[in-house]
Amino acid sequence: MDANIANIQHFSVGDGDGIRATLFFKGCNLRCPWCHNPETLSAAPVTLNYPAGAQICGRRMTEDAIFAELTEDADFYRESGGGVTFSGGEVLLQAAAAAKLAARLKAAGISLFIDTAGYAPFSAVEALIPFADAWLWDYKTASPQKFRDTVGGDLSLVEENLQKLLSEGASVRIRIPLIPGFNTAEEDVSLICARLKEFGITKVDLLPFHRLGSGKYEALGLAYAYRETPPQTAEEKSRLRKLYENYFTVTMES
Amino acid sequence: MKLYEALREEFTAPRGKFTPAYYRFLGMREHIRAPLPLLRAYGVAGLFSYAGTHIHKNDLIVGCLRGASYVGPQEVLEHANRFLASLGKREFWTNDSHFAPDYAYILTRGLPGLHEDIENSRAVHAADPDRLQTLEGMTVALQGFGRLIANYAAAAEGLFGLDDYDEDRLSFISKNCRALLCAAPSTFAEGLQLVWFCHTAFMLEERGAMALGRMDQYLYPLYAADIAAGRLTDEEAVELLCNTFTKIPTSDVVNICIGGTETDGSTSVNGLSRCILQAVRACNAPGPNLSARISKETPEDFLLACLESIGTGLGYPALMNDEVNIPALLRMGYEKEDVYNYCMVGCIENFLAGQQPAWSDGRFDVPRFIDYVLNGGISTYNNSVGITRTDADSISSMKDFMSLLEAELSVGAAEYCASFNAKNGGIRQDAFPSPFLSCFCRECVERGLDINNGGTKYPSAHGAVLMGVGTTADSLAAIEKVVFTDRAATLSELRDALAANFEGYEDLQKMLLAAPKYGNNDDFADKYAVWFLDFLAGEFDRFRTPDNGRFYIAMAANVQNIYAGRRIGATPDGRKAGEPLSDAASPTYGRDTRGATSTLLSVSKPDYTKVACGTVINQKFSPSMFEGDKLKKLAALVRTYFARGGQEIQMNATSREILLDAMDHPEKYPTLVVRVSGFSEYYVRLAREVQLDILSRTQHE
Repeated sequence: MDANIANIQHFSVGDGDGIRATLFFKGCNLRCPWCHNPETLSAAPVTLNYPAGAQICGRRMTEDAIFAELTEDADFYRESGGGVTFSGGEVLLQAAAAAKLAARLKAAGISLFIDTAGYAPFSAVEALIPFADAWLWDYKTASPQKFRDTVGGDLSLVEENLQKLLSEGASVRIRIPLIPGFNTAEEDVSLICARLKEFGITKVDLLPFHRLGSGKYEALGLAYAYRETPPQTAEEKSRLRKLYENYFTVTMES
Repeated sequence: MKLYEALREEFTAPRGKFTPAYYRFLGMREHIRAPLPLLRAYGVAGLFSYAGTHIHKNDLIVGCLRGASYVGPQEVLEHANRFLASLGKREFWTNDSHFAPDYAYILTRGLPGLHEDIENSRAVHAADPDRLQTLEGMTVALQGFGRLIANYAAAAEGLFGLDDYDEDRLSFISKNCRALLCAAPSTFAEGLQLVWFCHTAFMLEERGAMALGRMDQYLYPLYAADIAAGRLTDEEAVELLCNTFTKIPTSDVVNICIGGTETDGSTSVNGLSRCILQAVRACNAPGPNLSARISKETPEDFLLACLESIGTGLGYPALMNDEVNIPALLRMGYEKEDVYNYCMVGCIENFLAGQQPAWSDGRFDVPRFIDYVLNGGISTYNNSVGITRTDADSISSMKDFMSLLEAELSVGAAEYCASFNAKNGGIRQDAFPSPFLSCFCRECVERGLDINNGGTKYPSAHGAVLMGVGTTADSLAAIEKVVFTDRAATLSELRDALAANFEGYEDLQKMLLAAPKYGNNDDFADKYAVWFLDFLAGEFDRFRTPDNGRFYIAMAANVQNIYAGRRIGATPDGRKAGEPLSDAASPTYGRDTRGATSTLLSVSKPDYTKVACGTVINQKFSPSMFEGDKLKKLAALVRTYFARGGQEIQMNATSREILLDAMDHPEKYPTLVVRVSGFSEYYVRLAREVQLDILSRTQHE
């Protein structure tokens, strides 16, 4: 089965255990204004007009071609305890193709992580459960209204999916992007923590804000709402870390 | 301030001009009627005996060139220089520098033991006047060396009671020197002092790139005995090592090899390996060029410590794969236990310490042969000719193209070897003896033969340094794709485009640039790198050096890719005239775009067990790769790459921002050391084009 793919990133060492390859599915049904991969939002290919030349992002790839490319690095996965990560865009929007690939990776003994915002019918999540070794689950806010107004979706679907996934006994790592002005006020954090506690979560990954994607917005001819927002200072990061540490074991990306 | 840091300040203070010719001349004048080989030995003895000593206030281990500056009437110096010049000398291509002594032998025997071995050999060869004279030369040189040690002992004793000199340190120095005059070293400090005296003597002889070799092995018995007896701590060992390494001139490339593999396959890593690593890291200077021999059995903590040291930006150690280097050297016919004891000289050149004459190598540019094939054998950019007489358009397939290229390279390799052999074999070996160097080869002593006259266990080896594997592979892949697969251009169009440096042929250049490139795990391009090694290793292995040694191939043309590129016209990979060629064995910078795993999958495809000299793969990682959890991932990357047959890897770890800032504000970065290629260097001392080349390297993560 074919899939719309934005990119395959080899030697991916930022997300998850060991050396991984990240398969970026193309197309997303949320519109987080801070997104650092705006080129993956539409399912159709887009052109990035960089000063050095145009680059097309997005192609239809066959399952065989994807599988072949992902298994090239198998020796590196094995030695490092790494594997493949499905990310996006939103992988759940192409769950059928993803599940077929996932089954093949499982058969090949390759670890699979799913990096998702969790906003899709549960059947999409369910299709991947048997093959995923861990889920990197985005949790952006505990406020249904903020989620609807800023991100453009129904938070209850995300939470129901998370609940069901946890009840299936899946290994889930909650990842919280720290977005200035959106979820970093003390009351935002308290709400998130309280909510996640209800789900029985004990550990969270915090992802500090960065604007490394701003060049891509420019190349796409899009406005970027966070263009002028500076990255968090060390003090701010430490403040947020402490808030979360009242509830969880915290890891924070540098 | 640490002792070695204070020493560095003393060491780098301005000093007088080094005048070795004067001291050699003094030694020779005393015996001016001696036969030439002996006269040279007296020159060496004079050099060691009369060169002034200098003891730094912060020295623990002594030996340097600071005292060796003649300041008398200049006529004397001019006369000495003229006379020395008239006698001639060996050069790089006639086996003069780049050597690793057999320090294990010297440390076991000591100065008196070595004299005794020479005496015994004289008795054995009593009927052979040539050998007797060679042995007499060794005795003369060694006596001079003894005086060097005695001079330092006396100098230390003479400083007692002077302000600023620490008496404990002076008596430590004097005691170590005196002990070495009477017996083999019995402590780690004595052993290290003896090694450093030998190295100082080589510096006086003006030999460059003399390696310290496997220090963690030959000094280990002394280190272990001291530790066991409670006479030495690791901290003290590191202090002594720092004190020694600080005296390596920053202009020199002194290879030190740690780690490795025992003949039973177990690891050679020991406590001293870790001390040496720590000392080199602390010194943070380009002089001690550290190499670490890595195998499957290398302890993880040791590999991680190596990577941490690299991650400081220093770039040391380079990581060498024993599982490739050992088979590569076994292939050259050396005995197993010698091969397992290999070290490196210079940058990365594999060497058997004290068992072969000094190393030599030269550059062999491969991309220019493609130009011959395209142009009927006449170079378009320099006055040189190949053997092709075919018009470009009559070459009808990639297979035909490769046949012509192989024929060109075959002749080119033969020409190269003929030139080398004429030069190397063109001198009378017995007229240029190296009596001191010969003492560091036990077979030379035993046989009574000079190092360059059949004394060593094995003959010389010469390296043909193959330039431009990335440029060549990319060029051939582009020809196959654009000309023979897509039929988008003819060979004559390609030839004309190259001659015009792509002016008016921009579309063709775009197509060439879009063709598959080496370094992306794509066999379409990678197969040409595999061919490159296989074919050229075979060609060079058809020849022997004048003393019946082997021609090695080397994949390690340090920074020469920049200068070679300046003289090579546009190439079919889309590269314009004058731009750098691909560096060492790395893919062309910026063209390996699929991440480090893909780069290393490509780079590990060729069979490096055919590369006896060694390989340089420069990789650049962001500084964050050397922190926390990611360091382990990097270790896994290296282990996987080595398990797949990679021969070597060395890494840059300095951020792009710092490199750029240092180009604009060199005054802010006087101590910034970066990995260049087979060696590291102070960044601000590099030529601008080399700085730019480092900047252009593909950065992973």
